Amino acid sequence: MNKKLGVYICHCGGNISDYVDVEQVKKAIESEEGVFLAKTTMFACSDSSQKEMVEDIKKNELDGIVVASCSPKLHLLTFRAVAERANINKYNYVHANIREQSSWAHSDDKTGATEKAVFLVKAAISKARYAESLEPIKIKSKKAVAVIGGGVAGMRAAIELSDMGCPVTLIEREPFVGGRVSQFDILFTTYETGKDLVTRLYNNLLARNNISVYTGAEVIENSGSIGDFKLTIKITPRYIMDRCNEGRLQKAIDACPVEVPDPFNFNITNRKAIYHNFPSEYPHKPVIDIENCTRCGECEKICESVDFSQKEEIIDINVGSVLMATGFDPYTPKDGEFGFNQINNVVTLPQFKRILALSNEPLIYNTRAIKHIAYIYCVGSRQVEGENKYCSRYCCTSVIHASIMAKKKFGNIFNYHFNRGIRTYGKQEVLYNESLKSGDVYLQSYEDDPPVVTQQGNKIVVTVNDILTGKKQMAVEADLVVLVTGMVPRADNSVGSLFKLPKGRDNFFNEIHMKLRPVETVIDGITISGACQGPKNILESSNSALSAATKSFSYVSKGELELEPIVAEIDKNQCTWCGACAEACPFDAIKKIKDGDKEIAMVNNSVCKGCGMCLPVCPTDVINLIAYSNREIESMIDALAGS
Amino acid sequence: MTGKGTQSAKILVFSTEKISDPAIDMAGLLKLHYPPTVYTIAVPCSSSIKSAWILHAYEKGFDGVFIAADGSDCPYGESCTEKTGKIVSRTHEMMKQKDIEPARLRMAAICSVCSESFVKQMKSFNEYLLKNSNM
Amino acid sequence: MPGKIINNSFDALVIGGGIAGGEAALNIANNGFKVLIIEKDLSIGGKMILLSKVFPTLDCSACITTPKVSEISRHPGITIFTGSEVKNIAKIKENSFEAEVVRNPRYVNVDDCTGCQLCEEACPVLVPDQYQYNLVGRKAAFIPHSIASPRAAAIDIENCTLCGACEKVCPAKCIDFTQETETYHLKIKTVVLATGFNLFDPLKIPRYGFGQFKNVITSMQMERQLAPTRPFSTILRPGDGKVPDKIAYVLCTGSRDATIGNPICSQICCMYSIKQAQLLMGALPMADVTIYYINIRSFGKGFEEFYDQAKGMGVNFIKGKIGKISETDKGNLILRYEDINENIVKETEHDMVVLSVGVLPNPENSSFFPNEQLKLDPFNFVYQTDCLASPALTSIHGVFVAGTASGPMDIPDSILSAGAASSEAISYLTQKK
Repeated sequence: MNKKLGVYICHCGGNISDYVDVEQVKKAIESEEGVFLAKTTMFACSDSSQKEMVEDIKKNELDGIVVASCSPKLHLLTFRAVAERANINKYNYVHANIREQSSWAHSDDKTGATEKAVFLVKAAISKARYAESLEPIKIKSKKAVAVIGGGVAGMRAAIELSDMGCPVTLIEREPFVGGRVSQFDILFTTYETGKDLVTRLYNNLLARNNISVYTGAEVIENSGSIGDFKLTIKITPRYIMDRCNEGRLQKAIDACPVEVPDPFNFNITNRKAIYHNFPSEYPHKPVIDIENCTRCGECEKICESVDFSQKEEIIDINVGSVLMATGFDPYTPKDGEFGFNQINNVVTLPQFKRILALSNEPLIYNTRAIKHIAYIYCVGSRQVEGENKYCSRYCCTSVIHASIMAKKKFGNIFNYHFNRGIRTYGKQEVLYNESLKSGDVYLQSYEDDPPVVTQQGNKIVVTVNDILTGKKQMAVEADLVVLVTGMVPRADNSVGSLFKLPKGRDNFFNEIHMKLRPVETVIDGITISGACQGPKNILESSNSALSAATKSFSYVSKGELELEPIVAEIDKNQCTWCGACAEACPFDAIKKIKDGDKEIAMVNNSVCKGCGMCLPVCPTDVINLIAYSNREIESMIDALAGS
Repeated sequence: MTGKGTQSAKILVFSTEKISDPAIDMAGLLKLHYPPTVYTIAVPCSSSIKSAWILHAYEKGFDGVFIAADGSDCPYGESCTEKTGKIVSRTHEMMKQKDIEPARLRMAAICSVCSESFVKQMKSFNEYLLKNSNM
Repeated sequence: MPGKIINNSFDALVIGGGIAGGEAALNIANNGFKVLIIEKDLSIGGKMILLSKVFPTLDCSACITTPKVSEISRHPGITIFTGSEVKNIAKIKENSFEAEVVRNPRYVNVDDCTGCQLCEEACPVLVPDQYQYNLVGRKAAFIPHSIASPRAAAIDIENCTLCGACEKVCPAKCIDFTQETETYHLKIKTVVLATGFNLFDPLKIPRYGFGQFKNVITSMQMERQLAPTRPFSTILRPGDGKVPDKIAYVLCTGSRDATIGNPICSQICCMYSIKQAQLLMGALPMADVTIYYINIRSFGKGFEEFYDQAKGMGVNFIKGKIGKISETDKGNLILRYEDINENIVKETEHDMVVLSVGVLPNPENSSFFPNEQLKLDPFNFVYQTDCLASPALTSIHGVFVAGTASGPMDIPDSILSAGAASSEAISYLTQKK
């Protein structure tokens, strides 16, 4: 069939036309076979250009269009929609990326960029010539969402999904929900405590009957995909019965002879092997840390609720979408980094917050009365040598807030902030002003000349060449040094690997596009929210959690999804069943069937994901992937080769 | 052949839509330059590339073919690296039979942010092809 | 389908058709609810549609905004009123509001206008073009800007002399001076406030010489000079049309400054200035660009790396607050500042100064609800009653806030905030069904 094609070459303002001569591209392709009209356009994606394309298609009865513009990741869907509005099948649209892969990549070579753009457009035209009209495959989408991570972001998303009418399974790896915020005391800007906020959200979770909460639970297996994720969850038992006598349990905790560093308090205190996180942790039930438990049986003797016979449970759930809210880890300084683990009373910001929360007047740490506190900013963030080039965003505000709280709670405290430029962005600036007014001292240095922490006899001294006073060397004797540590991705990110979530340059999970698709990932049906995507404060995490909830809901709300009809096709006349394709298929989508008197391979279209792994293994080359057929690929190669 | 008068080899890259193509896009975004005679065809997964396509490219005049593989990031399964590897070794055999230098087919895993590594690969492949051919 | 009123009741009223309002409207409408967007301007797309490129990816702003705008204007569940104002909203009962909306006449029938611009050519009246931030002029019969949505003419009746020249040349006969103001009474269930922000007016800091020295411009004026729909073909200084080669940025103009009544940080100026500096280095390779700052706040995803990139490209960063700007007889500008690094007061000559103006609240928010108490924060942004767990909630049940109406934020944060507001609105509408 001789198709009538329309070709549009986008200036993209100047993003393309500053380097690629778009008029020359137009001239070079307008006489290609099948090209009925060729135009250049300032912004192909603008409303008026889209309207023009629709009119062109209708008026000239075009069969297909090619737009040469930016990456298909941005606008493939935009132009497919144009095709649909003009009443042609959307798969008759072909995209050519002449921005990211030509004008920008070769901005140093305008002639080269233009030549390349010509070939890329010609290849797209070749593909459009052979493109087939396709109908989307409709699949059922299970109206349920799994939220992974029970911190503030995860809980908030779960509540919202529930309110939209969607059943939710909330999966938390720790024995208690609340995540990092449960470790915070008083919060900026509301002055409620982390505990208050977690309590509020947890009560909201319980008040909804379409949310199941699993703690001590980990996703260990995933099969399936958008609309139909099949997750296997491993649930570690608490070894405590559901109904229990609290008074006796406390006695059992007291009786436990095991003491281990308490990660909830960042190891500044110890806890027992049977433990709570804090007096109102959720669920409100202690847990036995079975790895550290010696099975001495002391607790069992005191409390009948202890039950060592509980077994690990494996459950399977089926959901249409997965929302990731797995959070962050605080950066752990290396031994000796600003004296960490080598000089006494050098702690991290999260440890400092726990010290403030746990201490009563006067403030004493490691038997030392704390009066002068030095804060060293940007530890683990904005690194010159290390990997973490990014700013952790929350720490300036967080530490200034903690330092103000320290003064308020303990009175006679002097704060010295060794910073690299304070970043209390937006309204958080008022906190910085409050700190300055209260007499806190701010000393600043650049990244190439950081402060130095030394132990001099019994004294801890922090010295810096302070740029605010003309690089004078300033020395502060401190009772406590707080390393203002930033956010890093979770050390154990196995759940991310399980879902094959891509990471960004900062190693946090990556969104598709920061502005267009900020909570979606390239893995269809999986959204991301909160600090697993990058440093965020609580407000920002909640905003992203709510956005992700809406997006996840959109995948499941209709109970049905339309999928790309890009699946493998087997020529049944030529197939002689050898089984190689079925073996290569990672989704078990190919089965042997009887066709008359011979056996052939058959693709199940709703299971096939269109990866194409079966194509090259076929000894007779009778499998083609729709839209990537031999004819299409080879014609593109011909066009690119210029032959 | 570029406008600067320096010759460059004609390289066909098979990229993958979800993993390596975003990295190649990002190379453009970051204005990391590589020879403009590098052309990309994106496919869903590097394990779907047929030897016939690769051989077709040499036949039509490409100097080199590069498979920007998904590696361990492949969204379709862990077997991808191994499967893509098999395609390459199978194709290498076919190339030998056709008297095509096997080194004209290269493969490397390009993760979704491996823009710099992609550019490095392109530059070194280009240099190799220029040095080892009578173009 | 802007322009027609199909119904007098909607599920959601979104006030403001910028990027936050648009995003919220799309999310709500995609869940099957009927949405009305009220935009006081002649085009939707807000400030974002006028920007050059966006940090930290350097995507062109129009490339992201125009398809969104196009999706919004085509959406069957969304009705748009441009050139319209919300007069008042009253809560008539739980889950129900009544809004009075005034549509000002455009004097052009939008559905018939083809955007041919013949009226523009014919119109004899020349006034400053607000869409180019007064860098150039426009006619009284005009299309707001080339990527406006709707891309249709409008008559600026305040400046129009009623000469009739436009009517005569219009091939579509779509100019209609008989149009009148229309008032609508609408029943709605929920409101999303996406009223955006105002830019700080640097006339309030006379020592910087804005309005007095022609080569002192605002960052939004520079943004227009760098945009694809720019007024000139290159960067020019307004005083004499010369291409500048020594450009200075004055950060925190109107931010972090209690003396002008705005103690908070505007959150975006550091980054947009760094972005503009990078674009200037590209557009004018020989130019020297210096950014005078108090602190560089490159806190978001990819921002610090973007700042490093600017330093690598050769943008100068000087830590020092500008005390005073004066003008030489050549129209150059002398910046007097305390160089923090060297701890001395210095003076440096530049040939163009860009004031990185900050973000101020939109004062209209308080006027929408005469009978309810819409609480504002100490800086007059919309107060978020549960800012940690539900940042979109306001003091009025059923009214949600999206984007910069609640405080300064960048585009990614505005979009997430709009996501949150729409999420709350969808839950609210679902629960009240």
